[in-house]
Amino acid sequence: MVPTLKGRWATRILLFLWIGVPVTFLFSLIVAGPRSPTLPLLGWHYDILPFQILSLLLIVGLILDPVYFYIQQFRWEKDWPFAFQFFVTIIEFVIVLGLVWWGVLDFSRPRSQLHGTENYLLYTIHFACVFIPSFIALLGLIQIFMIRWRFKSGEWGRM
Amino acid sequence: MVKFPILLDIYQRGEGPLKRVERISLPEAGDYAIGRLDENQIVLDTPEVSKRHALLVVREDGMAVSDRGSTNRTYIGDSEVDTSPWDGGLPIRIAQFEIHLVPQTISGAETRVNTPNENATRAVSGGATTATPAPAPAPRGQSIEVALNAANAPSEMRFPRNVFKSEIVSAAEIKSSEYFAGEYTYLTVGGGLGSFVWADHLRIFGVGTGDIRAIGDDVIPYANYQRLCRNSQIPPHERLRSNSQSTPDNIWGFPGYASRETWKDLKEFRFGSLKYIFQVFGEASLAQTFTPRSGEVFKSIDKEAQRIGWRDMLTYGRVVGIRKTNDERYAVAFRVPEDQARGGVRERIMIGKFLHIATGYPATRFTGDLQAFKARYPEEARVFNAYENHEVVYRTIESSQAPASIVVRGRGIVASRIIQRLYEAREKNKGITVIHQMRNPIGPKEGYRYKGAQRYVYNHIENQAFNWPKACWGGQLLRETERATPEERVKIYEALGGTTTADRRDWRNIIQLGIGDGWYKPVFGHFETLELVKTDQGPKIQMKLKAQGNQPAVEVVADYVVDCTGLIGDITHSPLLRDLAETYKLPRNLGVGGGKIGGIFVTPDFEIAALRNGSGRAYAAGQITLGGPQPGVDTFLGMQYSALRSVDHLAVLGAPNVSLFGPLRSFSQWIKWCTNATP
Ligand SMILES: Cc1cc2nc3c(=O)[nH]c(=O)nc-3n(C[C@H](O)[C@H](O)[C@H](O)COP(=O)(O)OP(=O)(O)OC[C@H]3O[C@@H](n4cnc5c(N)ncnc54)[C@H](O)[C@@H]3O)c2cc1C
Repeated sequence: MVPTLKGRWATRILLFLWIGVPVTFLFSLIVAGPRSPTLPLLGWHYDILPFQILSLLLIVGLILDPVYFYIQQFRWEKDWPFAFQFFVTIIEFVIVLGLVWWGVLDFSRPRSQLHGTENYLLYTIHFACVFIPSFIALLGLIQIFMIRWRFKSGEWGRM
Repeated sequence: MVKFPILLDIYQRGEGPLKRVERISLPEAGDYAIGRLDENQIVLDTPEVSKRHALLVVREDGMAVSDRGSTNRTYIGDSEVDTSPWDGGLPIRIAQFEIHLVPQTISGAETRVNTPNENATRAVSGGATTATPAPAPAPRGQSIEVALNAANAPSEMRFPRNVFKSEIVSAAEIKSSEYFAGEYTYLTVGGGLGSFVWADHLRIFGVGTGDIRAIGDDVIPYANYQRLCRNSQIPPHERLRSNSQSTPDNIWGFPGYASRETWKDLKEFRFGSLKYIFQVFGEASLAQTFTPRSGEVFKSIDKEAQRIGWRDMLTYGRVVGIRKTNDERYAVAFRVPEDQARGGVRERIMIGKFLHIATGYPATRFTGDLQAFKARYPEEARVFNAYENHEVVYRTIESSQAPASIVVRGRGIVASRIIQRLYEAREKNKGITVIHQMRNPIGPKEGYRYKGAQRYVYNHIENQAFNWPKACWGGQLLRETERATPEERVKIYEALGGTTTADRRDWRNIIQLGIGDGWYKPVFGHFETLELVKTDQGPKIQMKLKAQGNQPAVEVVADYVVDCTGLIGDITHSPLLRDLAETYKLPRNLGVGGGKIGGIFVTPDFEIAALRNGSGRAYAAGQITLGGPQPGVDTFLGMQYSALRSVDHLAVLGAPNVSLFGPLRSFSQWIKWCTNATP
């Protein structure tokens, strides 16, 4: 798949909904125990912090997509190797970590529950849990369900 | 004016050079039948020649050739002909025979008249069968001029014109005729890869084998493709030029060929092929682009053909005409080879509601100077198109230690592959040298430019992974070409286009080595003349090269020329398409390069809009649609795209059994593919 800007956004949102949200939900159930505050849903307690991180990842990605698309213009094939996407996604995560460190989430809970090596490690594990299946989906799983996606530059729907 | 008697030389193509087997003389005007049976005036007695193969019509004012529905067809030069005037400039080709017109200044001492012999070729010219011979006019000029109207040939009487009398034909009449061979919902013409991929989509979208028919002249869908690969020196272990996810056997493109190759090796605890996964991950910036082995692709197609029941859907035949019917369908006329007819009529007509045409390349290209050389020295097997069988070149140069120089013309992927082959031949004969002829030098900074990017040039050759930039198969370039007007589109194609080769490390190394060791030399310009000259080492080809600008002309002497400049895309070289285009005034795409005409104009859904017949629809795929909304039509992925577009279009129309193919159906069908279950 060779993305256009619209295709990049569409695929990002698709992966957020399909993989990001369910994985984060599972993850937040597991981390909810020792941490607080948690929210109840159907009797389950889960932590919204992973959702906040996931949303930050989405926002940073959506903002950076035009930059990638701009860089793509200088490539003769107007393509975007998988490896590029791999590395820039890791950079996006580093940016998110930087934002948390800088204090974008400080409004939501005490600093001790957001910062520190232990928390950053948890964010990294969470990121890995979302990133790895998303990347595999990008490599081929999406087109098993959405046969037209690869020809539509990453957009969903019919031709 | 034709001067009688006309002398014809009949040559036979064998392993080596063409051999002249016969010189015959036609004393007067008339219709001379060519074929295998003794009743013909010109008998060519081998199984590849049909019983009644062709007709040579000779009149005072010119000659014409017409095919009589032969199995292996009739050609003038490399263009297949149905009925065509013949001026003798290019030979008539029938199976392994070539019929050359002898220039009339040469006296025919060994001319044989009326004497059949035991040769494979027996030529008898006892006079005309049907036409009234007229006295030959007094000979004037030296050459034969032709002003023959093709309509002079008796073609209205012949199938399928005897049934296809008008633009719209009566389905009822066909159904009650002896020709009728069944009616189907989906018909695809060609039976090659394009047809296969289309039928595969239909099957997976829900259509049964009983509703689909493919008419083609090969049972194996990749037969023609494999032939072209083999001739252009791509054996089964060599890699093709398409990416991992261009999978004619798998409509999803997943798993791609790279992961399949890796998986196969991992199962045997071999880990080397993990590099293919890395290639797909890093291509084209961090790693060389992955491409599959041709043998693997063929095997995968065999398996899929088995799964979808391709053999049940294939009808063996050569399509000779297509017409709209008066009940919103299409009639497809074809001929079956004698051995397949099982005593029935060989001429047949099938009727279909939804038609698909994928007949591939109309012909092989022979550049003018090569044509002229071949015509002048038919016995010298020295100049070849890379797509025709030219094994003799490699066999000859490898079997001796004599110095041999080979001109490789062109800078496309086939040229690269041929140079690689000659490099391999050097293992056996160090005397082999390669002269690489290119039109003009291209500096490292002179590659094509398009929107802020420039193509990479190496050794005067533009490099690109595939025949178009990647974003032409899905990505912004496809978007741009689909939305463009025809005029804008040509501009985009001109900016993106031009011949390229794949950026393969081994190929670059070969050229480096060759330059270093002095056995590879690029020359620039185009050949003005090709002559046969006698030298101390025997006959050689001498070429005068006209360089660009005010560079001095160059002279080259070589043993062989292998022309790698390609195949012909012009649809008028196919009698079927020419007839279709003329009958229904099919619009054509604009061609790249000022004034040229491209393929058949299709909509972004690959429909030939001008062929719409009420609720009947006709689609096309492959090379014959070149220059349209999608650039990469003549590729595996391009054919997957066009099949998906047209089958999706059918689904929206509500064509029988074609599902909308949403995510769930897609997934469940994919599981069936993985488990090799019928769709
Ligand atoms: C040497 C070579 C290498 C290529 N490598 C690649 C590659 O690596 N990757 C890639 O994506 N693409 C490649 N291509 C391009 C393309 O994918 C192939 O050419 C492909 O085979 C095209 O499929 P097709 O169906 O259009 O034509 P074909 O596969 O040639 O099928 C057309 C069929 O129609 C038949 N036919 C024609 N006229 C009639 C008629 N009147 N009646 C009945 N039958 C008829 C022909 O005999 C033929 O069997 C390559 C092409 C060549 C020549």
